[in-house]
Amino acid sequence: MSGERFLSTERGERLVADLTLSGVRVYAPVEAQGRTEYGLIKDLREAALGGPLPGMSLKSLFFPPTEPLFRWRQSGSEVALEAVPTTFEPMVILGVRPCDAASLAVLDGVMGWDYKDELWFGRRQAATILTIACPGFDDACFCSAVGLGPDASKGSDLLLVPVEGGYHVEIVSDKGAALVKAHPACFSDPRGRESAEAFRQQARRRVGSNLEIDPHRVRAWLAGHFEDRFFDGLGLRCHGCGACASVCPTCHCFDIVDEPEGLLAGTRRRHWDTCQTGKFTVHASGHNPRADQNPRFRQRVMHKFWIYPAKFGDVLCTGCGRCTRACPAGQNLLEILGQLDRQPQQIPEGMTS
Amino acid sequence: MNVYEPYLVTIDDIRDETPDTRTLKLRFKDDRVADSFAFRAGQFGEYSVFGAGECTFCIASSPTRTGYIECSFKAVGKVTNAIRDLNVGDTMGFRGPYGNHFPVDDWEGKRVVFIAGGIALPPVRCVIWNVLDLRSKFADVTIIYGARTVTDLVYKHELAEWGSRPDVTLVTTVDPGGQTPDWKGEIGFVPTIVEKVGPTSDDAVAVVCGPPIMIKYTLPVLDRLGFPPDRIYTTLENRMKCGIGKCGRCNIGPVYVCKDGPVFTAAELSTLPQEY
Repeated sequence: MSGERFLSTERGERLVADLTLSGVRVYAPVEAQGRTEYGLIKDLREAALGGPLPGMSLKSLFFPPTEPLFRWRQSGSEVALEAVPTTFEPMVILGVRPCDAASLAVLDGVMGWDYKDELWFGRRQAATILTIACPGFDDACFCSAVGLGPDASKGSDLLLVPVEGGYHVEIVSDKGAALVKAHPACFSDPRGRESAEAFRQQARRRVGSNLEIDPHRVRAWLAGHFEDRFFDGLGLRCHGCGACASVCPTCHCFDIVDEPEGLLAGTRRRHWDTCQTGKFTVHASGHNPRADQNPRFRQRVMHKFWIYPAKFGDVLCTGCGRCTRACPAGQNLLEILGQLDRQPQQIPEGMTS
Repeated sequence: MNVYEPYLVTIDDIRDETPDTRTLKLRFKDDRVADSFAFRAGQFGEYSVFGAGECTFCIASSPTRTGYIECSFKAVGKVTNAIRDLNVGDTMGFRGPYGNHFPVDDWEGKRVVFIAGGIALPPVRCVIWNVLDLRSKFADVTIIYGARTVTDLVYKHELAEWGSRPDVTLVTTVDPGGQTPDWKGEIGFVPTIVEKVGPTSDDAVAVVCGPPIMIKYTLPVLDRLGFPPDRIYTTLENRMKCGIGKCGRCNIGPVYVCKDGPVFTAAELSTLPQEY
């Protein structure tokens, strides 16, 4: 599906009002208490569309930090299970950053791998993603280094590019086209294509200068260097706090636990988890294949830039830079990727070790 | 049905194998599930006690025996201790079968050598019964099983049965010091006993399962006996939660043990990093 439209700022307000009236939940970046996060809005004027990158990624709306998988109730030796809904009310998310929109499409790979995660896909199906091209946020952004960009449309249904008086709208998916069709009074004939193009080019230049790597080259090197001195010491700096995984739009590891409510009922839930903690891999015997922080940090790099792409095609990173901003120890993924990109691919002839 | 929602099963029978290891026989409550449930040797499941959580074990019974499944577990943690507190007639949850399987069909006409240590016999026992229930399709069957002490040997009643069969060569061993005065089996570590028994690698496959240290020292012995790495099979048991390739816990380098495994050949293992 393709096509272009124009959405003026006023018509944008009307779109949000119309959607809200029709019972659709509308989310957008919202500023509160000095932070910007994706939140529920009733009026577009509550949104901080041109503001900072939301501190948390979009993943909470699709993969909540904790969510019930089912409930159980015991009666004597019998147990009855109560399912949780896997269909969800429609939601529109407006002002999504391209790095966050792309993460949804990236995660579809693992969530649909043979066994379909209905909780994920139920929300995916319910959501329409209206992305706004990003001017580039700060020097920790590197979306263009992982094959995306501040104007990438991956994972989006509509891509809005700021132009004078509103947004140039690129229709990316059938779902986006349906939204445009359902609100004909909100969208008008395309306008501002050239200025949109100028915005996009400028944003690409700005973000592109933060980090230039070849993800294929990084992947090839990682695939052949699991045991390499490069990783020694990366973990020394890491506290294993998992802040990187919490803010990451693509980290999706989870734990499954039972939460009893009294003796005879309870809820089985899944919680976000992270490969950065010591207990993540510990066996029942007490043996831990990742005994210290070095292999745990290596796993983070390997999974994102080798294992996931090898399995699902996409790099498990959209270059949002949140991990680098959030790390209390100053671990910098841009530096690490830059170093990985500069690793010699093959040992030159005549040299050993 | 939500993929994280288990089937409900009833505990039909409980058998203590050792002071801390127990086997449960489980039947599906839903007749339709019971009728349609099928699995292959080597596959695993997520067993749950409601209120305690889920735990990963192989299915220890053979796919040739339908209508129930069995699991054997050692009480070491929260869930396994909760399972131990259950009685016959109680309800548990089961999700599965998950993962790949031993290519038993490909072994028809071949000799099969089973080597197991300690609590690692349950996954091998599944394959042993699979092969023995189709006995005529295979050549010589050799079982070498060891544990630290006589007490730690699991499935003692079945060891007796296998030992008495003319079409099975069974060798049991315990670590030095683990024998009782009336112990009639071998005394020595599993790799040493494998070397002593010296099963032929001619037209043979080997299934090896045990603690990492046993596998580490058994593989060179099998190599000396002429078993090529692609005819040696093992099953890995990394920590898992979802069992279906989502939760990100069981990676070993590029593989997800729950989806690409748990069964691997020694040839495949040699390409993986030592993260198991």
